[in-house]
Amino acid sequence: MSFRNFALKAVLAAAALSVALPSYAADPVKIGVGIAKTGPFAPAAIPTLNAYQMWADDLNAKGGMDVAGTKRPIQLVVYDDQSDFTKEAAIYEKLITDDKVDLLLSPYATPFHFAIVGVLERYKFPMVGSTAASVQLRTIKPGNIWFPTSAIPDKMGPELVSLMKKQGVKTVSISTLQSPFAQEMEKYVKAALTDSGIKLLSSQQYAMDVKDMTSIVSAIKKEQPDAVLSLSFPADSILFMKAAREQGLTAPFQFVLVGPTADFFGKIFGKNLDGVMTMGHWSPYQTKWPKGMPFFEAYSKKFNQAPDYLDVALAYMSCEITEAAVAKVGLDKEKLRKEISSTTFDTIDGPVKFTGVENSTTPTMFLQIQDGKPQIVWPPKEETAPFQKKGPWVN
Amino acid sequence: MDQIASTQLLLSALILASIYALVALGLNLIYGTMRLLNVAHGDLMMLGGYFSYWVFQLVGIGPLWSMFGAVLLTAILGAACYLSIVRYVIGNRELAARLEANSLLIFFGFAIIIQNGLSMAFTSDPRSYGYLNSILAVGDARVELNRLAVLGLGTVASAGCVLFFQFSRFGLATRALIQQRDAASLVGINADRIQLLVFCVGFGMAGLAGSLVSMTETVTPFGGFPYTISAFVVIILGGLGNLGGGILGAVLLAIIEIYGVALTSAAYRSILLYGVFITVLLIRPQGLLGRSAR
Amino acid sequence: MKERALTIVSIIAALALFVGAPQIVNAYWLGVALQLLSGIALTQSWVAFSGLTGYVSLGHAVFYGAGAYVMALLWQSAALWEILVASGFTAAALALLIGYPALRVRGPYFVILTLGLSELCKYVVIAIEAALESSGRLLFDTPDPVFLYYIMLLLAVLATLLTWGLARSRWGAGLRAIREDETAASTVGVPVTFLKIMAFVLSAFIPGVVGAVWVLRTTFFEPMQLFSPTTSFTIVTMAVIGGSDGAPGPIFGAAFIVILSELLWARAPQFYLVLLGILLISFVLFIPRGIYGQLTALAQRRRA
Repeated sequence: MSFRNFALKAVLAAAALSVALPSYAADPVKIGVGIAKTGPFAPAAIPTLNAYQMWADDLNAKGGMDVAGTKRPIQLVVYDDQSDFTKEAAIYEKLITDDKVDLLLSPYATPFHFAIVGVLERYKFPMVGSTAASVQLRTIKPGNIWFPTSAIPDKMGPELVSLMKKQGVKTVSISTLQSPFAQEMEKYVKAALTDSGIKLLSSQQYAMDVKDMTSIVSAIKKEQPDAVLSLSFPADSILFMKAAREQGLTAPFQFVLVGPTADFFGKIFGKNLDGVMTMGHWSPYQTKWPKGMPFFEAYSKKFNQAPDYLDVALAYMSCEITEAAVAKVGLDKEKLRKEISSTTFDTIDGPVKFTGVENSTTPTMFLQIQDGKPQIVWPPKEETAPFQKKGPWVN
Repeated sequence: MDQIASTQLLLSALILASIYALVALGLNLIYGTMRLLNVAHGDLMMLGGYFSYWVFQLVGIGPLWSMFGAVLLTAILGAACYLSIVRYVIGNRELAARLEANSLLIFFGFAIIIQNGLSMAFTSDPRSYGYLNSILAVGDARVELNRLAVLGLGTVASAGCVLFFQFSRFGLATRALIQQRDAASLVGINADRIQLLVFCVGFGMAGLAGSLVSMTETVTPFGGFPYTISAFVVIILGGLGNLGGGILGAVLLAIIEIYGVALTSAAYRSILLYGVFITVLLIRPQGLLGRSAR
Repeated sequence: MKERALTIVSIIAALALFVGAPQIVNAYWLGVALQLLSGIALTQSWVAFSGLTGYVSLGHAVFYGAGAYVMALLWQSAALWEILVASGFTAAALALLIGYPALRVRGPYFVILTLGLSELCKYVVIAIEAALESSGRLLFDTPDPVFLYYIMLLLAVLATLLTWGLARSRWGAGLRAIREDETAASTVGVPVTFLKIMAFVLSAFIPGVVGAVWVLRTTFFEPMQLFSPTTSFTIVTMAVIGGSDGAPGPIFGAAFIVILSELLWARAPQFYLVLLGILLISFVLFIPRGIYGQLTALAQRRRA
């Protein structure tokens, strides 16, 4: 009996000791990610994963991650969600309970973020999000997830209308993909257009698996609007741009919602992308943000392609925020939550501070591709280059 | 409404119809002769598309030449597929008893292998290149030269294929096989050889379609499935195994896609398309030109 | 007799294991078990109709999606069990609505028609959601996974009993007769249309409830994904690999796929999918009656 008692105590003591002792420096910090490595979202998601990988490699090259004063190497634990957000909850649950990761980075795209909100809540696990934007994110209870984006439709709508007004736009035609984010955008742009003095000539939606946008573009061309807004996702953004070039759509203001910031988009359209406007709030050419250009150059060198100016920037920002918070308070979830909720972080996109779940410092901006480079053309305060009218399409 | 009568829409509808016809033809041949549901058809297209993309990137030769390579590549794959798997399936009584379900699964397996093989080899970035992309004015419409090339070559290939199966000895034998399997073997038609050739032609047509489409659209590892669905809709609309019916189905689908959308709203594109498909099947369960006695 | 006892004992043991699982395993493995159970429930339902009649449905995603949609619409505005029942009945009603016309065609026409119908329903839901200005639906305060697990366990058991009962009944014999030769069955007085439609409706109910439970797990509804044809293809894959002529097959099929996916997916995602493709082809070619069919054949040979 006494021996058993002793043994039990010894085991307990050993266990207590192993908890109490500071971890060895070599003990890696495990960081979990679930992301689309395969399936239709993979082309857009992989650059995001690249950003995570680059961040991890850089930190490891510098001796590891600063965990409240101790440097520890980091190890990414990455699973493929197969572009299926219904798998994401199980993946993050696995990361938390089975892999016992210390930190989490976010998956790619809004539905995938929304699909893990419940899991983060249940395990009280704080995570900085990245490529998610929707007015719905405000309905999420703050405390376990934060969204660094400033491209939220209810803010973008009015800003886009202000930008158009400043550029002397009198008439506008809109086409919208039947997908949550694009539809939100359409709703808030339309709301902002009433009483703006800009006339909405037409607004049409199209189904997800559209194969040919000729009739949409030819209808818009007939209306001869000053501004064309294509509220589209990469696949149909490509269709739209091709049809616009083919039919010679000459509106001086052409906005394409998602796509133009991606490297493959530039490869497909080359010079024809010049003058196209898109959403985004980061540019390496913003001299106010000294971290931006070195990041741009390092990424371009490492992966032999430019980072996506929207997605990759957001993914990297989420790494920077996580890193800074951990350096200050370590890995304790409660302390992390407090730190992330209250501190202003210095990122490649300038200072970021969260109010609730939302980034409340970065203003809503718009990018225009000029000479193959992403320039911030709105708001005036953040401008890296003045707005240019879309020139003629070239071969 | 005046845009309905425009050359722009007419051209687009014709171009789309020629693509659908070409894609559906290969599928129809394989189904018609062997009752196999080739759900990997669109993925074979992507294979042809990647072939032409890489030939263009690496040696600068466009699909007008590389399409022959794409056809060859997919045709060889077709032969390999027939000799290694399909012949066994057709010859095995137990497997042949549920040929539709079994072939569906075999080709579904193929589709997964092609998709993920492609994405392992070439990443999943969408690929596109500029070839014959100068813009031509046709009446009051403007159209990219490569789309006209798709229209021309697609039409020639489809028409050639239909005529070949209509008039050549081989085509006659194939159609005999399509219509009366048992009787055909009685009159001394070598079913095995015909099936092998049909597989080569069917797969080759997919490769050709992919090669042509790669000029005008992006190629991705997972981009084949929508084509597969469209192709099935086309051949079922026309009547399975009926090559002429398939062309009719392709034209109908393109009309819905272009004019249906222009007349109503692009938001209803898919609802219209599948709605028409289902309605046709309900009224004529054997397809527009299918024979009712089965 | 001995074999029968063995079967009963192993069924009871397996059930006890599943009932006790939440106390034994961690949340992750519970998630895997949830996936397994939903795979069993869906595949059993599919086998109850398609396995017995030979009408290969590629449209079961629509029942799953419809159930999920009902849950997303009604969550927190009615009691959970009420919504679950409503989800099942919605799916069954949808099956009745599309079953009558769809079941007039056979063979490949039916396969593609069901796929087309499921795409049609998906885009109708997208259009409805667009008209409602809804941009995806987030579900808050969803039940604990352990609770969802027990619901799913119940569904898997119910679906298994359904297929088991159906396969042994006169009704099941009628359905099998349809599979062998529908015209002949009809001439000897089997009410083929009625049997088919009723089996179709019955096989839609459980997928509806499964979809409703699953959307509580994912906490987000978006039609493109929840009506995805992949769901239908996965169900058919599980049925073929396990065996589709009775209740034991789907259990083997679901278990095989879920375990394989757990073993490989985390380490080599693309390789896993390629391997899945190869396995699928190999199964059709060499084990066409599925794992269970092969096992019984082996057992019979041994006895002989």
